[in-house]
Formats: sequence, C-alpha cells, structure tokens
Amino acid sequence: MQCKRFVLSGAAALLPFLLATAAQAQTTQVPAGRLLASNCFQCHGTNGKGPGFERIAGKSSLEIYKELKEMRAGGEGQGLMTKHALGYTDAQLRELSQWLSTQR
Amino acid sequence: MNRRQLIQAAMAAAAGMTAWHPLASRAAGAGGRVIVVGGGMAGATVAKYLRMWSNGGLEVTLIERNPAYVSNIMSSLVLTGQRSMSSLRFGYDALKTRHGVKLLTDEVLEVDAVNGSVLLASGQRLLADKIVLAPGMRFDLLPGQTDPSRMPHAWSAGVQTEQLAKQLAAMRSGGTVLLTIPKTPYRCPPGPYERACLVADWLKTKKPGSKLIVLDANPDIVVEKDNFSKAFFGLHANVIEYHNNVEISSVDEQQMMLYTNGGAVHGDVINLIPPQRAGKLIEQTGLATATNGRFAPVDVLSYASLSAPKVHVIGDSSATTQPKAGHIANQEAKICADALVRYFGGLAPDPAPVTNSACFSTITRTQASWLTVVFQYDPLTKTMQAVPASASASAGWNGDNFDDMNQWFKALMADSFA
Repeated sequence: MQCKRFVLSGAAALLPFLLATAAQAQTTQVPAGRLLASNCFQCHGTNGKGPGFERIAGKSSLEIYKELKEMRAGGEGQGLMTKHALGYTDAQLRELSQWLSTQR
Repeated sequence: MNRRQLIQAAMAAAAGMTAWHPLASRAAGAGGRVIVVGGGMAGATVAKYLRMWSNGGLEVTLIERNPAYVSNIMSSLVLTGQRSMSSLRFGYDALKTRHGVKLLTDEVLEVDAVNGSVLLASGQRLLADKIVLAPGMRFDLLPGQTDPSRMPHAWSAGVQTEQLAKQLAAMRSGGTVLLTIPKTPYRCPPGPYERACLVADWLKTKKPGSKLIVLDANPDIVVEKDNFSKAFFGLHANVIEYHNNVEISSVDEQQMMLYTNGGAVHGDVINLIPPQRAGKLIEQTGLATATNGRFAPVDVLSYASLSAPKVHVIGDSSATTQPKAGHIANQEAKICADALVRYFGGLAPDPAPVTNSACFSTITRTQASWLTVVFQYDPLTKTMQAVPASASASAGWNGDNFDDMNQWFKALMADSFA
C-alpha cells in the first residue's frame, strides 16, 4: 500500500483536477511528470535519450530516483548534479523518475 | 490617446473578456493554430515541443528572418580562434521534417495582439489562436555611436563576433582592450566575465604585454563571484583591470574613447556590451511595461503576456526573476508549450512549474567552471524563486568542466533544434 501510494503520488495529486476537466477535454492527456522531467532534457537529450550526458531513458523509476537521492546526499561528489538534484522536492523527484521510466 | 495607449486599452479590454479556457469559443479536442515569432533558443524549442507534446495536433508556424540560428553560447571562443562561426550555426530542417513545424523565412512587421494575427514583410497576414513571441534582445546605441562595427558588442553572435575577432587579431602586442558590462538585467549574466577571462588568457600568449580593462556598470561581479574574483585578481591579475560602478555616458568612435563617470578611457579594441531591452516587436505591441519599459511582464505559469492573453512571451524578452540565457529560455519554452497544449485541451496550466539554469564558464582556453540553479514557482508572489540549496557554482575550474561544457552545448542545442 505504502509502495503503491508512492508510485502514484504524482498522478494522484493531479487526479481530481483531471477528472473535473475530463468531461470538457475529450482528447488532451498530459502525462504527469513530463514537464518536470523535461528539465533533464537540456543535458540528457530530449526524453532523456541523448545526445548529451548519461542516457536516462529506459531505466526503472526506482533506479533513477535512488540515483538522484544519492546525488543529493553528496554520494557522488560535489558536482553540478549534486546541487541540481537539491532543487527538487522528494515528490518531484519521484514524479519525474516515474515519467522517465516510461521512455524506452 | 496615442497609438500605444489605444493598443493598451484594447488589450486591457480583451484581457478582461478572455478566460484561460478556450472552450467557450472552441470545440473540445479541436486543434489550434500557433504562430511562433523568432527562431532562437526559446522560439525553436517552443515550436518543437508544441508539435511533439500535442502529438502533431497543433499547427505551428515558426517565423524567422534568418535561414539559420547562430548561437551566442560558445561564441566567445570565436574570438580566441577556438571555434568557427559555422560550428555555431543551427538550421531549422529538423524542426520542419522531424517535427512538422511550418517554417516561414520572413519578418514580422506588426502583431495584432487583440485579434491574434501578424503582418509579414512579404505582405501576408497570418491568423492564429495564440502567438508566441521570442524576439530576443535589442541593444541600445550609446550617445556618439553611429557605426556599431567600431565598438562591436558581439553579444548577438554573427557579423559583430567576426568583427571583434578580427580587431583583436589585428591589435598590437601591449595594446589595451576595453570590455564593458551593462547593468542587469542583460543576456547571460556570467557571459561578460567569462569572455574577459578567456580573452585575457588569449592575450597572455598572443599579444604579450596587453591589458584588458573591464568596466562594469554593476556594483560588483553579478554572478559566480568566487570564481571570477579568483580569476580576475589572481590568475589573470597581470592582464585584467576591473572597475565596478562604471557607467558609459558617451563614446568617441574616431578617438576610440569611452566617456564614463570615472573619466575618459581609451581602448585599441573596444567590446562595448550596451544596455539591452526586449526585441522591437515587444515594445511596438505595447507589451514592454516592466523593467522601466524594457521587458514584457508575463504569467510564469504559461508565459502569457499580462496585458495581451493571446500573446505569450518567452526567452530574453520576458521580464521574470530568472536569468536571461539560452538554457533557461529552453525551459521557459517547454512550460509555455505544455501550457498551450493544455489550453487547447481545456486544461489549466501546470500549477507548479520548475525551471533550471546550468552553464559553464571559460576561465582559460582549456578550463571552465560551472554554475547551476533550480527555480520553483511561488504561488504567493507568482514568481519563479531560486531554491537556495541548488544555487551553486563549482569550487574553481578545470579541464573536465571544459569537456563537459562541450557536451552540454551539444545536448542543449539538440534539445532545442533537433
């Protein structure tokens, strides 16, 4: 239960809003986390698929999230990504990791 | 009532009538037409992402007067002969063929912000549901300036970059180069400081005995102070002379003199980076109402102009709390694209957008530093606010960062143009 809630937290936050507008908007679907994850694209390529630094598309949500948490903790030195990862809330890291994991 | 007041009154009326949701006047699920004006970092990115994120559902026309974009990022390396102009050119083929953006090589003469149309130099008038303006920066001419090539800014990469490179190459050893920095906000906050470092490093070996005098209109180094201070007053101290609070009142192009509040200064080569303002269309359309009439205030949830809801302004022309630079313009463009895709589907913009800035600064011809910050939306002030823990620069500089800079540039340009 706990685990399921964490994975869905991004989408769940948007759910009431999506439901409220679903009746009006028949076709528009904006995947949760896509806009957030697009902050990665400048350096890791559109949709995380390069060219650029490490390819992030295709990894599991947990893998990406864990790596970002490790960076935040300084586990990978004091590089740019260590500071960058500190700019997002935990929920945001989960949400963008979740979206990136859908990219193959 | 003059013409501008008339435009503003009409826009105010339109702003009152038009809600964010288009469905009162549009059929649900229908596509929409978006015109993007300007094919720089912001304009190219928004055109690409509008097509991609609408799954091709939106008709996107990009209007750009030049056949290709010339990158400002990395253009200081042309001055030291490390990069060619052609390596900075990015065409629009991928936007057209891969993403289905309609490209018009034309110039916009007029924007009708109320009805949503643009008049082109070719005589054509185009209609759209939304217009995204990304006309970049315009550079002030200082009193006495008649021929910009005498004291080029080279702050919009192109012919002036080549002129400045030639002037530096032709300068005698033991000469004096002046580089001026305008008051903020200007394009690319670390840019003038990194250019000073790079040129100083080049002068040491190519023009021994030369001096680089930096005249900064700001009270202090505006960004990445630790690194630039160490470079200016340490590594490059025998070349760079830094003066703060220096305002240029006029110039003498024949004598190659700058007249300042600190006296007159002569330079053999003068890189005059002047005060900057939004592209001409922004002012002409009556949108430049922020920052002493220089930039366009926007709602940073969608980058909609605060006075003309059919018009969105992204990149350097908009007035926000974020730096004016290519990397962040790319992210502003994505927020705008996402908001417009939602708009045409009857959805409100993402209520909590995030942007980030990241860049590298050349400290020597082979070493660089880095700078980064993440911005989160603050609903109380309705502005993007820097997350303090994320705002940071590298401790010093090295060759690895220089390699990373090349990698970053390649990735950023591909995300914007390919």
